[in-house]
Amino acid sequence: MFEFFFSGEFPEFINTRPLRFWVDDGLNWVVRNWGGAFEDAAYPLLVMLNSIEDGLLMVPWWLIILAFAALAYGATRSKALPIIVVVGLVFMGLMELWEDSVETMALMISATVTAIVFSIPLGIVMARSEIVQRIVTPILDLMQTMPSFVYLIPTVMIFGPGKIPALLATIVYAAPPLVRLTNLGIRQVEPSVMEAAQAFGASPRQRLFGVQIPLALPTILAGVNQTTMMALAMVVIASMIGAGGLGYQVLQGIGRLEVSRGVFAGLGIVVLAIIFDRITQAYGKQLQEQIGLAGDRS
Amino acid sequence: MQKFKLALATVFVALGATGGAMAAECGTDRKIDIAEMNWPSAAALAHIHATILEEGYGCNVELVAGDSVPTSASMLSKGRPAIAPELWIGTVQDQWKKGLEEGAVKDAGLAISDGAVEGWWIPAYVAAENPGLKRVEDLPEYAELFADPDDPDQGRFYSCPPGWGCEIANAALFEAYDLEESFNLFSPGSGGNLDASIVRAFEREEPIVFYYWGPTAIMGKYDMVQLEMPEHDPEIWACNVESSCEDKGKSAFPTPPVTVGTAAWLAEEAPVVFDYLSEVALNNVQISKMLNWGAENKAGAEETAEHFLKTEEDVWTQWVPADVAEKVKAAL
Repeated sequence: MFEFFFSGEFPEFINTRPLRFWVDDGLNWVVRNWGGAFEDAAYPLLVMLNSIEDGLLMVPWWLIILAFAALAYGATRSKALPIIVVVGLVFMGLMELWEDSVETMALMISATVTAIVFSIPLGIVMARSEIVQRIVTPILDLMQTMPSFVYLIPTVMIFGPGKIPALLATIVYAAPPLVRLTNLGIRQVEPSVMEAAQAFGASPRQRLFGVQIPLALPTILAGVNQTTMMALAMVVIASMIGAGGLGYQVLQGIGRLEVSRGVFAGLGIVVLAIIFDRITQAYGKQLQEQIGLAGDRS
Repeated sequence: MQKFKLALATVFVALGATGGAMAAECGTDRKIDIAEMNWPSAAALAHIHATILEEGYGCNVELVAGDSVPTSASMLSKGRPAIAPELWIGTVQDQWKKGLEEGAVKDAGLAISDGAVEGWWIPAYVAAENPGLKRVEDLPEYAELFADPDDPDQGRFYSCPPGWGCEIANAALFEAYDLEESFNLFSPGSGGNLDASIVRAFEREEPIVFYYWGPTAIMGKYDMVQLEMPEHDPEIWACNVESSCEDKGKSAFPTPPVTVGTAAWLAEEAPVVFDYLSEVALNNVQISKMLNWGAENKAGAEETAEHFLKTEEDVWTQWVPADVAEKVKAAL
């Protein structure tokens, strides 16, 4: 009688099949009726991604290497990083991975730019409202823990195969740290500093743009750094739904058992990670030092 | 003392006897690993064989994940997994043939009795609206119809994910038909993406031209038309599936034998299992029926296999002796 109670297996109280039918048929309904609309809505993203990619491919290769080396020098004021950047990028060119790395870079940059556009304002709103924070935090947790394979295929069905779903999946995975760190950065601004600003008669808008955001900038930049790294971490998975580039090379390496192809493309991803990580980190550090100095003077 | 010894001896004899009986049933107590390929028909077959071998023959069975190229490579070099329940010989032709000659692997028999279909397809509604589009040669004229959203001046052809044997064959045909100028060869990156793209197109009644194969649930569910190619020519094909060969030609896909591949040791150590595997051929209709049930009821491979064993007794009881069939039925 109480068999179900003592059974090791969880008893089947309801039949979940109708629910699964409902979810799957619902998705098909959305695809049938709204698929075109979603695809059109995401079109600007595709244009951005394609123009970044085409732009980077139009510039002579040595100019790109020089530009990254200059950025690295500007960030660190030392020779070490620019040398690493030049060696890394020349390695990719020699390994015939130039076009692939440009494609991957374009995907990463577009994902980061889109994430910045949406995440920083959201982070600011979160910092200013407890309610928003309480609603958004669990959503961010969900975005970061939900295995991306779960939403890859529905995204393809809704937005159409190609680069758009790959880009969207990358954004979903990469945006949360930026939202969190923007929120944190603004909340961490010393109350005494805010009081002083208020005492000087700064309006809320002036306080936000003149005090809070500049003081939070190093933390926000750390968020941008995290976002670029997480976007890079997604490139192999994104290539499973139509993104090209280094991720696709890795995938080919796995699929065809060509270990060499996988290793070289993998190293290419490492090179990109080093370049973007070190440069954004160095700029963040510089910024922090400047703000630190300003703090000392006051 | 004497009595005790006798008792001990009896125990040993008894143990030996039961042990022998068990070994006689399955033939080996080595673990028999069955490759559960990552497409539905092969996965369901893997579960069906696993259940019958485990319950009916008392074998020590384990399912391991697999895919054509890596699984066959591992079977050839290591003898593991022991069984590939649905091996598309066409995709791994050369290595497999060599392995058969060297005695590393064996074909137990056909997995799909009437062979499989592979080819380039368009939806039936596209074929009805464009009567001029019948052959692969006609594609360039219709590039606009199949416009690639990432590159609207070109058409888009959905090929195979990397690692599938058909990826190389499709690229060869693409080259042989000079499609580079009007079409992009789109690699879906994964089987899931290829399926999702096809389902989306069919649900929205959009044009799409793609590679696909049967028997599959998608082929059973949607109405599609195959684009014509010249009859299969083994010589041209041998070049088409070799990525280093330069002179690609036009030829239809072979109707490849789809076999149950086994590692050679299985035939030696467990001839009973090997004999069983030589009997297990299903035809296209039977497999499509099974897959359709799975797709419509949202069942996984395991559930689909169970449903097949429960409802298609007439089919599978012919593969095994009556006593084995009884044991399997009792376990269901």
